[in-house]
Amino acid sequence: MTGDGLVAALLAADDTDTDAGAWPARVPHRLDSVLAALPRPASAGVRAAVAAVETYALARTGRRLAALHPDEREDVLRSLARRPRLAPLLDLLKVPVLLAAGTERTGVPPVPVPAPADPPLDCTPAEEWPARTTADAVVVGSGAGGAMAARTLARAGLSVVVIEEGRHHPTASFGRRVPLDRFTELYRDGGATVALGRPPVLLPTGRAVGGTTVVNSGTCYRTPDAVLARWRTTFGFELAERLGPLLDEAERTLNVAPQPLDVLGANGLLTLEGARRLGWSAAPLRRNAPGCKGSCQCVVGCPTGAKQSVQLSVLPDACAAGARIVTGARVHRILVDHDVPGPPRAAGVRAHRPDGGELEILSPLVVTAAGALQTPSLLRRSGLGGHPRLGRNLSVHPATSVAGRFAEPVTAWRGVLQSVGVEELRKDGILLEATASPPGMSSFVLPGLGRELRRELEESDRLATLGAMIADRPSGRVRGRDRTLVRYDLAPRDGDRLLTAVRAMGRLLFAAGATEVLTGVPKAPRAGSPEALDDLLARTGPRDLHVSAFHPTGTVAAGGDPQRAPADPEGRLRGVHGVLVADGSVLPGCPEVNPQLSIMAAALAVADAWLGGTGPGG
Amino acid sequence: MRGTVFTETLLGTVRLDGEPGERRVRLDLRAAADRVLLPHRTTPARLTGRVRIAGRADDPAAEGELEVSPVARRRIRYRLAFTADGRRLTLDGWKSVSPRRPLTSMTVLPFTLYDGHTRVGEGVLRFPLGTGLLPFLLGFRFPRREDPGAHGAPRWNGTPGRTEVWYTTLTDPETGTGVWLHHELTAPADGSEPFAHGWAAVFPRAGEVRHARFGPVPWTRPADGFTAEGVTSSGGRLEGRAGDFRWSLTERPEDPPLFTFPRWSWRHPLLPAAQMLPAARATYEGELSYDTTTLKISGAPGASARIYGHGNAQRWTWLHADLGDGAVLEIVAAVSTRPALRRLPPLVFLRLRRSGRTWPRRPERSATGLLGLGRFRADLGLPTWTVTGRTALRRVRVDVTQPPERTLTLEYRDPDGARAVCRNSESADARVVLERWWGRWRPEASWTLEGTAHAEAGER
Repeated sequence: MTGDGLVAALLAADDTDTDAGAWPARVPHRLDSVLAALPRPASAGVRAAVAAVETYALARTGRRLAALHPDEREDVLRSLARRPRLAPLLDLLKVPVLLAAGTERTGVPPVPVPAPADPPLDCTPAEEWPARTTADAVVVGSGAGGAMAARTLARAGLSVVVIEEGRHHPTASFGRRVPLDRFTELYRDGGATVALGRPPVLLPTGRAVGGTTVVNSGTCYRTPDAVLARWRTTFGFELAERLGPLLDEAERTLNVAPQPLDVLGANGLLTLEGARRLGWSAAPLRRNAPGCKGSCQCVVGCPTGAKQSVQLSVLPDACAAGARIVTGARVHRILVDHDVPGPPRAAGVRAHRPDGGELEILSPLVVTAAGALQTPSLLRRSGLGGHPRLGRNLSVHPATSVAGRFAEPVTAWRGVLQSVGVEELRKDGILLEATASPPGMSSFVLPGLGRELRRELEESDRLATLGAMIADRPSGRVRGRDRTLVRYDLAPRDGDRLLTAVRAMGRLLFAAGATEVLTGVPKAPRAGSPEALDDLLARTGPRDLHVSAFHPTGTVAAGGDPQRAPADPEGRLRGVHGVLVADGSVLPGCPEVNPQLSIMAAALAVADAWLGGTGPGG
Repeated sequence: MRGTVFTETLLGTVRLDGEPGERRVRLDLRAAADRVLLPHRTTPARLTGRVRIAGRADDPAAEGELEVSPVARRRIRYRLAFTADGRRLTLDGWKSVSPRRPLTSMTVLPFTLYDGHTRVGEGVLRFPLGTGLLPFLLGFRFPRREDPGAHGAPRWNGTPGRTEVWYTTLTDPETGTGVWLHHELTAPADGSEPFAHGWAAVFPRAGEVRHARFGPVPWTRPADGFTAEGVTSSGGRLEGRAGDFRWSLTERPEDPPLFTFPRWSWRHPLLPAAQMLPAARATYEGELSYDTTTLKISGAPGASARIYGHGNAQRWTWLHADLGDGAVLEIVAAVSTRPALRRLPPLVFLRLRRSGRTWPRRPERSATGLLGLGRFRADLGLPTWTVTGRTALRRVRVDVTQPPERTLTLEYRDPDGARAVCRNSESADARVVLERWWGRWRPEASWTLEGTAHAEAGER
């Protein structure tokens, strides 16, 4: 087991907690399973940090943490906490421990309703797919973009094969496992994808049939008109002009509607109340979850099948039109024929099976929809990464969260996970969204160590959480061929926006009745009043925040300028014939809202343009 | 322009859908490309061969396509249609060439089987390096690819004292009647106007040999083939009338050209004369009538040939024998009219084409041997003449009999006015025996043609 001593120290486990049946005793096992799902550098880092803390304890007391009395462990932690430079490191250590502890403390959540049967999908595991096949079109990735492109091409009569690196997870499988297990399986790198930079940014992306739409919050914003206009005029992304009806189509497909109040949950209701008292405009979000039961598990796979991720909405239509899905296959490269008249032509793809074997599918059309972080690497592996702007222009939505402590239990994990949008600061590029966490999986790093942390954990049902995401400057870059390496340096303007967002969230929580606001900043974790929060934030920089990021876009941007845009205005990769880009990477700039609809509409437009314009023969 | 021909054997297994186990598969393929296979290019080729799936299929007439592109596309793709249990299946697979694993990637062929668009199985074939590499490498050939139609144009360039011939011989399979259509351009040596003439002749199984002449008429210098006052031999069409003969035939080439004399001698007319066949074999359709007889000709085997030179030889024999199964034998044995050369024994040009391979490989081999040693011999005479010859490991004996009752005697006239007598039979008999040496001479093949050989013997 990794760090049973550290776990006992962080959670202030006493003699009663060491019984085999007590939840703290199970946490080290759970921590091991979490670490096993992380990429090797991340898990090695955690293990090294654990070993460093143990070494410190050994040097200080002569014994390992596990052998110490609870008071002695508390003493060791207090000694560590007195060193402010260590605070971010300890926070990083706390994240997996808190995830494991939250899960064990909560236990297996009951499934509110029996899971309905999913619409049928034609999925074949890569091991059972022949090594040599042909198709009219291969779509790499089955997320929002890939699914929409596959459906469009299949409905046009093409034989389409969708290749997905992740597995197919039916709705029924979600209710059988605790959220944390699903989390490590449904996300790439166990959810620990990190963009290097100052501060480092956590950038989780989904990896399953349905892509990130299986694990997103279900919030569906239409691309703002101003953004569409900017894409068209500034970048020359001509398809933006046609996106209006295609956004309607995407909304119809996903059954997008405002979230009813009945299952909104206390987190959302408190946000609405706070906004009302401040006079801010706020409303339940438009979501793709008709009949949502408020399970608060969107981000680990909706167990009731209410959220219309593309594996429940678009992909079944694609399969009904003849598309087939190969699961568990990672596309190694796009095959390109160079000895043809004109530019090189796409000839198919080669993919690796989990068992080490290879499969190849020949196809004159390859649609890359592996996501903005994976598509550039795929193109580089395929010898198609020659454009100087490929992998650059990475936009994300940097996000941070704030928790408010209320006198009464909030139980944020009962209700809709992302329920209410506060649009007061939209004009400043800041979108506040009431966002809770699945049961036992708080994404908010609770303050304190030892007994203080344990107390916070025990009282976490009194916390309401708000998240804010900001429209950024495209200041990231995706490098790498075989492994993706993301670099993201928060622009100074965006750092200021994040602090403004934290201030706004704090005001809203206080207005809703919070007695205390937890900022998530290690060196100044609590504020008892709006004024105290302002003072606190005046001494805080963006690098002190826990920043996550979502919605990567723009790494293979489409545009009219061949020097600046790796893809042409219709989403075709320049310099090669037969490669379409139909995921977030094709968007030329930050969409400023949750981008599922934008990506789906763009993919639909790109596939439509191919069929209607140059077409398969062109 | 040369093509590429090679054979390849692949062994492996296939798992058919719905079956628990694997079945053994064997492919014996012959690939033919219209261009020289260059590794850095993409070369398409036609596949023919035999597909065997243990207990399910044994189709000796599988057909398909091959795309060889080991460098440019890093792919060698096989698509093969064959019959198994009465169903038409398609095998589609490709080797994915990888510089990291050159041997494995060049020898392993994963494939999928389809019935229409439905997948019915998949498997892997491997090239057996131990037993297959040497035959594979030795089996590579780069035969010339030539268009039979390209050899129809007149060769004559206006030089006086030349003769040029387009002649066609065929055997009507229904009646056994031999047909000879002779079209000749003569440019007299005295510089007078060139003229065209010729004749048609039939050699019925029973009954007398008939012939009729046409021309002479002035040569109109057509761009292609022979044309003279309603008689044409051009572009796969043979039409004309001569006396009571009427004919209208279409010719379909069945084989690449065959150069009976060395190719250089046809391209550069240094020899007194040279003969070649635009297509070593052809089939004919159409109608030929003479007197009161009308022959409806359908699928008749035969060939057209070309001669260009100064005139006829001092003595000569000629044989065209369609041996069946795509095999054909062409012989010209001749003694030159030149003063010194006429004392030499006949030069024998023998070309035996079987399975796309021609023996001897060079025409000079039979005529001059190796520095004069081992040349083929001809024993000229009538009614039977004989040609014998051997190379290192193979020998042949050809006996041709031209029965007098099935032989037509005609007078030929050279451009210089010299006369020669030709005795031609398009329903001659022939016996061909081929032997191969393996410790001793062993029979390899023999053919007996009764009334279907086309032969001629001439003398001054």
